[in-house]
Amino acid sequence: MHIYLPIAEMPANVLLFLGMGSAVGFLSGLFGVGGGFLLTPLLIFSGIPTPVAVGTAAAQIVASSVSGAIAQWQRNNVDIKMGLVLLAGGIVGSVIGVQMVRILRLAGQFDLFVALAYVTFLGVIGTLMLIEAVGAIQRAQTQQRPSLARSSGQHNWIHRLPFKMRFHRSKLYISAIPPLAIGAFVGFLGAIIGAGGGFIMVPAMIYLLRMPTNVVIGTSLFQIVFVAALTTVMHATENYSVDVVLALILIVSGVIGAQYGAAAGARLKGEQLRLLLAALVLLVCVRIGWDLVATPADLYSISTSFGGAP
Amino acid sequence: MRLSRILCATGALLVALAGGTLLIALAGGTWHFASGAEAQTLARGHEDSRRVVQRMQKAAPAGTRGETLPLPRETVEADVSSRAIAITSAFTGTEIVVFGSVLNSRQPSAEAGYYDVIVVLEGIPEPVVARRKSNVAGLWVNTDSFDFESAPSYYAIASTRPIEEIADENFLEAHAIGLDYVRLSPAARSVIRTEPAEAKNFKEAVVRRREQDGLYLKADYAVIFIGKSLFRASIALPAHVPVGPLTARVYLFREGEVLSTFQQRVRLEREGLELWIYWFAMRHPALYGLFTVMVAVIAGLLASAAFRRKTAA
Repeated sequence: MHIYLPIAEMPANVLLFLGMGSAVGFLSGLFGVGGGFLLTPLLIFSGIPTPVAVGTAAAQIVASSVSGAIAQWQRNNVDIKMGLVLLAGGIVGSVIGVQMVRILRLAGQFDLFVALAYVTFLGVIGTLMLIEAVGAIQRAQTQQRPSLARSSGQHNWIHRLPFKMRFHRSKLYISAIPPLAIGAFVGFLGAIIGAGGGFIMVPAMIYLLRMPTNVVIGTSLFQIVFVAALTTVMHATENYSVDVVLALILIVSGVIGAQYGAAAGARLKGEQLRLLLAALVLLVCVRIGWDLVATPADLYSISTSFGGAP
Repeated sequence: MRLSRILCATGALLVALAGGTLLIALAGGTWHFASGAEAQTLARGHEDSRRVVQRMQKAAPAGTRGETLPLPRETVEADVSSRAIAITSAFTGTEIVVFGSVLNSRQPSAEAGYYDVIVVLEGIPEPVVARRKSNVAGLWVNTDSFDFESAPSYYAIASTRPIEEIADENFLEAHAIGLDYVRLSPAARSVIRTEPAEAKNFKEAVVRRREQDGLYLKADYAVIFIGKSLFRASIALPAHVPVGPLTARVYLFREGEVLSTFQQRVRLEREGLELWIYWFAMRHPALYGLFTVMVAVIAGLLASAAFRRKTAA
């Protein structure tokens, strides 16, 4: 069964993309991550032009994050003030990122940049997660209790920065610069590689800002929904690269997949889950990296001014 | 001037004597000339009929003497199976059949191979950038590029036998027939900074990549004669063909000489929902972006709400 994608200008096998959406949704439900970092490479591997993959993934991130964000909001797990500061940074980052996409596309370096960004971030995050998960499993085997990551009295360089703000919900009194920078960085990345950036923001909030873990997920989801929505609109206006039909297929299958994933995740141990996720992240990293170093079958490639102004 | 008028007048007189059948042939403008130079003149009309009249002076005496009449010139009439192709959400590519017939065919049978037919189906010209990768510090990076101001978005050629056997290079090049002669116009800025040999590589790369994509295709022996005058060729239009008008060109050859040509436009347009979405995305991109976000929010909430109810029940 095929359906013609109006913006990608190609027919898509509906079953393939439904399967892809539910598989990514399943994994994101299983591991509690957005899944954008898996979805975008999969879309590119299946022949969707890179700009369309990135633009459409942003719409999918809105859909997959919005229900979670509302649920967290209802449980009062969102630090709105922190979320707004992150969002302010995110907007700036996203605007710059979308412009970067346009410039890189004209220069013919967009695919390379996306690939390099993926290899770098997936490589770093995957390795860190792998080390952490292996350590956790070893500790669990030796019956050792892990020491708490956060001790309240601890101070680091972040606390010496100016423009301090009080974040009541997170019980923090810190400079606004680090959350702004984190938000901007994640927004920039999200616009360029079509990932929500939760996999970067959550560790950054825990380890750099030292936010309490109960508000981390809700606050990052709150920020991701708005930044992804903005990114979608900007990709539509700047790059004409958002395919609503493809987005709808991915959204519906993704949300359903996520529910099964979450149910399956409840039956697995946290350390094992993180180990699996680390392996998956590294696998995607290696797959993308391979294309950069392997000698291409044809050194020449051609491109048209895809989706230009009417 | 005066001489030619006299010639015309005498010609007309002789024609009148030659009889009704010849007159009809003349009026139809389908007179055939053996001379190759004359045969290449494809334009029909007033200009031609005057020359035809002049030629008649040579031909008419034969007619008056009651010998075999020179056979009328062959022309080709053709059409495409569908002049408007709609791209709807169910579009998965299609097949365009170009069919036609040779009027006044002298071919004894379909298998005789008396005539050669070339059919070219071409998309709109669009700018294309060709890039070449080089290994930079272990990574394959696009380093060189070459801009083409226009290259056809789609190009298909079908013929009764390999085109090199049908016509000479000059003709093929002049009419952009064949994958070697696809009209690619390089941008001046690229020509200046690129070596000619390099430019040729880029040109070949465009054709090669498009061929691999299924957008440029060639099929020798794909034009088939069904009877002594009827022929058909079926050309695949892949689903990812860029949307835009196509032009079908038909050339009729006899021993390397063009006898007749024919052209027909094929409209390839979005229709229904596809058109609406595309139009929305291109004309009102900001609204379209907001619409997509709204669709995403609603779909996300609905799908999870539906699921929660299902698991709760």
